[in-house]
Amino acid sequence: MNLWRDIKGTFQPFWVTLRYLFKRPVTISYPEQKRTPPPRYRARMILTRDPEGEERCVACHLCSAACPVDCISMQAAEREDGRRQAAWFRINFARCIYCGLCAEACPTMAIQMSPEYELGNRDPLKLVWEKEDLLVDHGGKDPNYHFYRHSGIGVAAPRGGNDDELPPVNIKTNLP
Amino acid sequence: MPTLIIDNQSVTVPEGTNVLEAAQQLGIVVPHFCYHEALGAVGACRLCAMLFIDGPVKGMQMSCMVEAKDGMVVSTEAPEAVAYRGQVIEWLMLNHPHDCPVCDEGGECQLQDMTVASGHSVRRYTGKKRTYLNQDLGPFIHHEMNRCIQCYRCVRTYQDYCGGTDYGVLGSNQRLYFGRFQDGPLESPFAGNLIDLCPTGVLTNKPYRFTSRFWDLQEAPSVCPHCSLGCATIPGARFRELQRVRSGNNPEINGCFICDRGRFGYDYVNHSDRPRTPLLHGEEIPWNEALETLLQRLTKLIECHGSDSIALLGSGRASLEANYLLQRLSEQLGSAAPVYGSHAGRDRAARAATTLPTELSASLADVRNSDLILLTGADPLAEGPMLALAIRQAVRNGGRVMICDPRPVELPCSTEYLACQPQELLQLLSALSLGETLPTKLQPLVEALQLAQRPVLIGGGDLLGAEGTTALLAAAQKLNSEDRSCLAMVLLPEANSFGAALLAADGPDFEQLLADMASGRIKALVCLEADPLTDCPDRQQLLQGLEQLDFLAVFDHLPSLIAAKADLLLPTTALAEGAGTLINNEGRMQAFAPVFSPGQPLRITSQGNHPPRSFSTTTPGALPCQAWALLAKLCDLPVDLAKIRRELATQEPRLAGLPDLLAEGSGQRIQSADKPLSQPHALITEQVDALQLLACETLYGSEVLSAHSSPLDPVRPQPYLLLHELDADRLGIAAGDLVRLSAGEIQLTLPAQLSDRMAAGVVIVPHLRRTELESFYPGQPSQPCRVEKVSAL
Repeated sequence: MNLWRDIKGTFQPFWVTLRYLFKRPVTISYPEQKRTPPPRYRARMILTRDPEGEERCVACHLCSAACPVDCISMQAAEREDGRRQAAWFRINFARCIYCGLCAEACPTMAIQMSPEYELGNRDPLKLVWEKEDLLVDHGGKDPNYHFYRHSGIGVAAPRGGNDDELPPVNIKTNLP
Repeated sequence: MPTLIIDNQSVTVPEGTNVLEAAQQLGIVVPHFCYHEALGAVGACRLCAMLFIDGPVKGMQMSCMVEAKDGMVVSTEAPEAVAYRGQVIEWLMLNHPHDCPVCDEGGECQLQDMTVASGHSVRRYTGKKRTYLNQDLGPFIHHEMNRCIQCYRCVRTYQDYCGGTDYGVLGSNQRLYFGRFQDGPLESPFAGNLIDLCPTGVLTNKPYRFTSRFWDLQEAPSVCPHCSLGCATIPGARFRELQRVRSGNNPEINGCFICDRGRFGYDYVNHSDRPRTPLLHGEEIPWNEALETLLQRLTKLIECHGSDSIALLGSGRASLEANYLLQRLSEQLGSAAPVYGSHAGRDRAARAATTLPTELSASLADVRNSDLILLTGADPLAEGPMLALAIRQAVRNGGRVMICDPRPVELPCSTEYLACQPQELLQLLSALSLGETLPTKLQPLVEALQLAQRPVLIGGGDLLGAEGTTALLAAAQKLNSEDRSCLAMVLLPEANSFGAALLAADGPDFEQLLADMASGRIKALVCLEADPLTDCPDRQQLLQGLEQLDFLAVFDHLPSLIAAKADLLLPTTALAEGAGTLINNEGRMQAFAPVFSPGQPLRITSQGNHPPRSFSTTTPGALPCQAWALLAKLCDLPVDLAKIRRELATQEPRLAGLPDLLAEGSGQRIQSADKPLSQPHALITEQVDALQLLACETLYGSEVLSAHSSPLDPVRPQPYLLLHELDADRLGIAAGDLVRLSAGEIQLTLPAQLSDRMAAGVVIVPHLRRTELESFYPGQPSQPCRVEKVSAL
């Protein structure tokens, strides 16, 4: 019985190869030929903008905390209108493993994974991307989400002006 | 000592402990907000509910409100208790704005932790959230009222513990508001504690706003360098920049609190003008060359001019180890023993303070437990702010405070004030120490001292001087008996003044050094983190002496005046960048650990933009070395802190505990000196008729390190002159008038402030660095002066 199995094991792969010789190949000749990934494909990360066109990133450091390879660094700063933004935001794609934990951690949907996967490069420094390189001019997968319209500290809307908020209380009244 | 069972684990706790604390001793995490170890429990937040199964009380109880008793069986994990806590946290979160990503508390937020611990994750309530308008609470604290969960900790901290009156709870019903009646800076010098105490992000650190996350900070247990009390702090650094300081917990000293000078005075570490490279005549040189040059120049001068041609100057800013190694260097060179401190009067007072036996020395914990505090010539808010907070706790526990001072000493508690001229203070102390009768004016003091069970005498080294300090210690010894203990505490000018004075022993002081410099005998001066140009009262003589020097070497981390003049500048690390030991004013040795490595802050090198897009093997500005390590190399000793500490402990038996010291602990008292306290003699002082000018410390602006800190810029006082109302009436001066002050050769025009809570015949000016009042030094005998009105307000 063992002999039969060995003979089968020797010839069956040849048969499979022979069969596929006359079929259309599944591989393509990259990079001459390129495949378009699906729109929700998760390759390199981008920084998206909110419906008003402002940067969504608030430099909360959650992505850098979640990053298993420590490839994200940033510095937060306050804009004149009280909006928290990244003074600088840097990701080292030479270190990035495209795990997507940053996008999962991002509380403002600023970080999303984009289908762009071609980052191969001969100069490692060109793999260090700054905020300007990462920012896109759209809202990505959820274009209507606006963090400051949900968390009420009076940045995008006046204080107490969000849909789920009451106007500021009058603390000097004695009425019940 | 009741024994109780919590979650099937048995624990024995001291009498009076509550069940929440007992559970914490077992390492069980129970959600809580209103309970805090320093503030106690009020049972307001309803979050620490536990199920009491057996014992004197039964059923669901708030564990912080139940005293631990024998036979209690308690469960924190009972399903009823878990469900109860889950509901409580859910309604605490009803109105929360859910803005953790833009909140500075995120990551170290008790509300986040407790919400997770209670299992709440989704807001089920669909109603609208309550909102508030914020207030501007000044330069230190940012207010975001929407995050409030009404736990009342801020009010209990600010009003009850810190004695502030301008912040509290307003409104009623669903509209409770924690803030001031109007916008404006918080007045209490302890307001910064609100940042640590607020369990959510309502009150956050304004200078640190949006700077870093808690988990990115490099932190280590450290000691505050901004006064002689030595409070425990935890500085936090990131990107080569010291970004904030929060309070550590040393139950013997500061408890869980620190003052705003300690909290916001850190920025001297990041100063852009800080010396960062070894410089020889302004030219950059490598470290090994710098150290060689120093040794060569010193040995050459000794060969030419003899061993007394070089002088070494230590300071109360440098660590104990560095100051000791300076002594070793002097032995190696064969020169005279180092001088410690550039202000002879303060140095002598500190040396007098080191003679106090350990058992008579009061810690801040002793002050908090005292029933009578006598302040003689001490202004706690200026010279050691946390002492004022400790005194307030004593008053809250029913203690009395009596102040004998020429200055209008203000404290955040009720006090009894007796205005005393500086010389009257000395008479009072020597009379107390010799058991003589006091003048009738001070009779209330005598009665209070007779009644008190745990009195503490507190003096300020600046106003009392060596003579007064000796008298204060002798008075404490005289009043100390078997029935009751009378302790003493002396406020000193710098964080390690005590340690430096201990090493100085009977060595030379700065006056002798000045005389030697003026006579031209001294050819080289080595300053260890000392700046005589800002600390020596006799500026003229010092400048003359410096002219005659052949060689001036300065070890420092401040952009000081002497560093600018140095022939050889050796940059050292700031306290947070190195390890070492400080001895505080009660003689407690405290070790501190390095928080981060020195380097030019990224904020400065990249000017707010991203870090450079080039790689380099060196860190900009990383050259400063720890002073003790440099001195160890100069002395040819191994650069090993543990070995240096062991050696120091064998050399100086009073420092026996030094090798076992840990940065995490609450420090260790030094041993008492084996010689008895020196007895003061009766003081006879003549009455002076002219106005006397007295310079004194202020809360902000006098201390050298915090004077280089930019977060404190908005609160530094402008120069002024303080007069008694009676003197002002006599001179025709009204409050706010511009007056001309003439003292010695100095003439200044200053706005006048008036007070009736001070000694008549005294003119007080604050010692404010980098203003025209810089040249008036505390720690000097008062000098006659004249005050004339220039123009009305």
